[in-house]
Amino acid sequence: MPASTDQAIDYLPYKMRVEKITEETPDVTTLKLLFDDHQQAEKFTFKAGQFGLYSVFGYGEATFCIASSPTRKGYIECSVKRAGRVTQALHSLLEGDTIGFRGPYGNCFPVDEMKGRNILFVGGGIGLAPVRSVIWNCLDRRDEFGDITICYGARTVDDLVYKEELKEWEGRDDINTIFTVDPGGETPDWSGKVGFVPTVLGEAKISSDNAVCILCGPPIMIKFTLPVLVDTHGFAKENVITTLENRMKCGVGKCGRCNVGNKYVCKDGPVFTCAEIEEMPPEY
Amino acid sequence: MKEPEQKLVVPNGWLEALVRKLRVQGTRVLAPVERDGAVDFREINSADEMAANYVNTRVPLKEILFPRTETILEFDQPSGGDVVFSGVEANAAPTIVIGARPCDLSAIGVLDTVFNWDYHDTFYGQRRANTTFVGVACREADGNCFCGSVAGGAGENEGSDVFVRPTADGALLEIMTERGKKLAQSIDDAAPAAGKEEPLPVAATEERFDVEKIKGWLDDHFDDDFWLDVSLKCLGCGACSYLCPTCHCFDIVDESDWRGGERRRNWDCCSFALFTLHTSGHNPRPDQQSRCRNRLMHKFKYFVERFGRRACVGCGRCIRVCGAGQNIVNVLIDITRAEAATSGSA
Repeated sequence: MPASTDQAIDYLPYKMRVEKITEETPDVTTLKLLFDDHQQAEKFTFKAGQFGLYSVFGYGEATFCIASSPTRKGYIECSVKRAGRVTQALHSLLEGDTIGFRGPYGNCFPVDEMKGRNILFVGGGIGLAPVRSVIWNCLDRRDEFGDITICYGARTVDDLVYKEELKEWEGRDDINTIFTVDPGGETPDWSGKVGFVPTVLGEAKISSDNAVCILCGPPIMIKFTLPVLVDTHGFAKENVITTLENRMKCGVGKCGRCNVGNKYVCKDGPVFTCAEIEEMPPEY
Repeated sequence: MKEPEQKLVVPNGWLEALVRKLRVQGTRVLAPVERDGAVDFREINSADEMAANYVNTRVPLKEILFPRTETILEFDQPSGGDVVFSGVEANAAPTIVIGARPCDLSAIGVLDTVFNWDYHDTFYGQRRANTTFVGVACREADGNCFCGSVAGGAGENEGSDVFVRPTADGALLEIMTERGKKLAQSIDDAAPAAGKEEPLPVAATEERFDVEKIKGWLDDHFDDDFWLDVSLKCLGCGACSYLCPTCHCFDIVDESDWRGGERRRNWDCCSFALFTLHTSGHNPRPDQQSRCRNRLMHKFKYFVERFGRRACVGCGRCIRVCGAGQNIVNVLIDITRAEAATSGSA
């Protein structure tokens, strides 16, 4: 059980202002949010992997990870795929609009424990959002970590998120990058790989020595990527870390819906190792 | 059973006098009142209004601390884009609840855990701090009561601030907490108990299954056709959860018009298909079978593992209310039989 907090919860969100809207793909948008209250902005801290509940008043709250890095202070970013009522409302916002945010909640990626180790980041689709928080966290403290490899794929070139950042990572000589799109999703000028993430990852030269893997993506990708990491590249399941994304309402272990067995994704997670997930009933 | 801080004897008529006094002080008093054939906790001005005979109220005690719907913030959108919002105070007027049953009071312990195990829920906490519970031993049970199998039974005083054991000519009051002591100051004609008082017998609630055997079977039978059998009798209507004194799942929704509105917290239920549905369409508990399993596992396994106590107190409401005749006692008996069969120690 994680250490319990003595904090009170009244479900009142921070008031945030939409500073910048970036259209990542036809259905994914990144919102950069600033605190309306400067004192709140100064006091606010979070860790990579933590999540929050974002609300458009009149539409409700929805849960997303914080997609920006804790090393970038004064703002948070979230990347939202348009899929339901609240995400549609988030997509309809204009710069300058007000939204609510409460958090940060949940545990985090063990960034400090990853010091001195090689890191393999694997993302699929919008699953790059939580990974991006850790990537920038590590890149902003680059000399504390060993080799960094980023393997990212999406269905089509259009569906790749954070396109500018992908270019920046590709251009750096202190990161290895493997970018891929599903077969048929390539464009004539696509210079990356063509193939599903598990296939491309399986063909890549990756060492699991002194390495940890941060893996996020759609369930189907995780299902097929995990055997590649474990059987092909020799990762121990304890060293493959991912996030679960069950539906949540409270975010603080009370509303009862995110449980997987006796674990609350909102309190014990959202970050779990694949070894931990293997011990759980398959309700995620 | 807990040792009371203090024991008092009071003569017949004590309750009438207490309610009168509390009402004169302006204190809100809730007690079981019969209306349209159902007994529920309602505000009373006089003890005459209390139901004379009731096994238990229809809606459990939880509603007093955790209402079925409550506003948790209000917002206003006076001009394009900007939103003004503010929190609201919980409606937590000092309240004395008289006539609560031991099962429901035991369930308050479960709710206390949920709303405080990590973050402290302010809405629940404010009401809890302002509410005093006067529990009463059950002299009658019905065929659906099974507190004797899962909890302390009809005479359990734990969870009460003051626990009442009726006697032939009055009552023996067990003062359990500081809040109870404070209330006792308003009770006239109370004398220290001499130890010779003989409370009237409480209802017999025999043990109908061995609850200790249940968890062992649940530990090993996540995947089992048993759950399909159980689910075939479940309409997924959620009535059992609404009336369950320990069920605490909630939803948070916005209700608004074009200008403003409020965010509300409403009771929810793990038997509903939408409960766990992801926006993507994926549902971790996609069928009634997995939802029935979660409900039972939560009460008899997950909650035990997490917090060291069961989340079922044997009030029997889920049995009384089920439109399809689902009976949790029979389900639990089936589990103990299955357990005996697998362990070979029938």
